[in-house]
Amino acid sequence: MKIVVAYKWASNPQDATVGAQGTVDWSRAKPGFSEYDPVAAELARRLADATGGEVIGLTVGTKRVDATLARKAALSRGFDRAVIVADDSLEGAGSTQLAAVLAAAVRHIGDVDLVITGDSSVDVGSKMVPTVLAGQLGWPAVAEVISITGQAGALRVERAVPTGTQVLEITGPVVLAASTDAAVARVPGMKDILAAGKKPVESLDLAALDIPAAAGTTTVTGTSRPDLLTRKGQMIDASDPAAAAAELVAALRGAGAL
Amino acid sequence: MSVNTWIIVAGDPAIGNLIDTARSLGGSVSVAVVGPRAVADTVAAAGVDKVVWFGEPGAVPAEAYATVVADAVAAATPGLVLAANRASDRVLLGATAARLQAPVLAAVSSITADGAGLVANCSVFGGIAEETVTVTGPLALLLEGGPVPAASTTVPVEELPATPLGITVVETKPSSFEQVDLGAAPRVVGIGRGLKTQEDLALINALADAAKAEVACSRPVAEGLDWLGKDRYIGVSGAHITPDLYFAIGISGQLQHMVGVRGAKTIVAINTDPNAPVFKEADYCLVGDLYALVPALTAALK
Ligand SMILES: Cc1cc2nc3c(=O)[nH]c(=O)nc-3n(C[C@H](O)[C@H](O)[C@H](O)COP(=O)(O)OP(=O)(O)OC[C@H]3O[C@@H](n4cnc5c(N)ncnc54)[C@H](O)[C@@H]3O)c2cc1C
Repeated sequence: MKIVVAYKWASNPQDATVGAQGTVDWSRAKPGFSEYDPVAAELARRLADATGGEVIGLTVGTKRVDATLARKAALSRGFDRAVIVADDSLEGAGSTQLAAVLAAAVRHIGDVDLVITGDSSVDVGSKMVPTVLAGQLGWPAVAEVISITGQAGALRVERAVPTGTQVLEITGPVVLAASTDAAVARVPGMKDILAAGKKPVESLDLAALDIPAAAGTTTVTGTSRPDLLTRKGQMIDASDPAAAAAELVAALRGAGAL
Repeated sequence: MSVNTWIIVAGDPAIGNLIDTARSLGGSVSVAVVGPRAVADTVAAAGVDKVVWFGEPGAVPAEAYATVVADAVAAATPGLVLAANRASDRVLLGATAARLQAPVLAAVSSITADGAGLVANCSVFGGIAEETVTVTGPLALLLEGGPVPAASTTVPVEELPATPLGITVVETKPSSFEQVDLGAAPRVVGIGRGLKTQEDLALINALADAAKAEVACSRPVAEGLDWLGKDRYIGVSGAHITPDLYFAIGISGQLQHMVGVRGAKTIVAINTDPNAPVFKEADYCLVGDLYALVPALTAALK
């Protein structure tokens, strides 16, 4: 079975700073292997080991995603090899554009049975890239995936739904987005990081890929800071729990919150 | 400029907010419904202009209709495609956006049309900033679904024959948690990884009883620890709530959590770590052990 893990090299917005006009400064937010993507890598590795398959890590982004550190961090996650499309014209690319490039790379890799992604990216986090990627490939996508077993063309996938879980049988190629708790990913050790440096990486030229044109233009015409409520930030001394509780209850009653 | 909108429904007719949004743009409002006939009938009575339905799904999940929905909607060349922010609905929206090569925007607070195209305001990067985005060409939007719309004029349901992709539901297992609507609760007690064991939830339940509050949590408590149902976690990927009072207990207060309670009138934070980010967004800050403070608070509320 040929499994692609589509991962993102991205920064946590928690570490970004936002200017008065709402411009986001990422310079102090270090990028990394996106928070939930190790789960996807782990599911892929387990499935490949069980079926004698291959796991290919795939990412798309600016030149940053092809830096040595980024390559090693990715390849230490249990991929057999990586395919990377790094081009600075992808700065700020939206879900549809990223998915179009990912789909072109999946077609370039060829004979892919399954694409696995994380639940959502740490920076954008809208959960749309896996679904648009599937659309670009003409495949279905299934999200909230808890477990994957079976063979190419006969996958058995369990996924969470609001009322519980469902087991699905899937006969064709598919994009699966892993639930955050689908697996506990192993932490790469020294051995994995050393081995990562020796694994093959194929860098694809964006211009050489067959990517459909966008239907229109998307322009950011304004940014702002969110209009947040001002919080009181009142400290209540908690050294004596009973006194602290009484003070809090009195304060909440006084403020009309209770 | 009026805009013709298509709404995509993957089995859940709770799309009141989508219909209102589509109506505000002045054009026709059509709906593509995947799921049982009853869902199509509910939507057809919700004051829309057109409903297409792809037949009884039986054991075929909504995702298997991704390509047929994308084809049907794209053939109508809509200016705007909407779906509710739910897992299966996102899959159908993504397939349609791909077919149209249309951009997708999420966390959208408003959308208008002017001479230049569609103008959307959206919250970006987990809510740290807001952007105004102008789009020429078709646009796909993910919105909060809103309530099931009330019945008004009824339009006929047009059935389109469909060949779904190869996915079948072979087994369903019910959740052991009862479902909850946190949105309706005026007070909410949120618990995080500061709680040491599942048994200790008894402490939190006692506080919630005393405060007449609903129990909620951070994402890892529902996904990973599995101590509470997934519909009880709050944040960017979970529930967005605006209660009168929110207690964040043993929750560090990462951006991805706090964005879900930004609209709470009053926030109380209890945490042993004085540097926990939650204190920057709280009205009342108690630096201390929840195991001492929660029982004391429960007693004080009685
Ligand atoms: C794309 C993405 C989406 C996400 N979406 C969400 C989301 O929707 N909702 C969400 O909640 N998270 C979400 N997260 C995860 C989020 O970033 C945090 O990891 C998570 O909220 C942390 O949960 P926590 O506060 O319970 O745990 P921790 O961060 O581990 O915090 C536990 C806290 O408990 C305190 N504590 C420990 N013992 C005690 C004690 N005895 N008494 C008092 N305090 C104590 C500690 O000081 C600490 O601050 C998302 C992450 C990503 C990347």
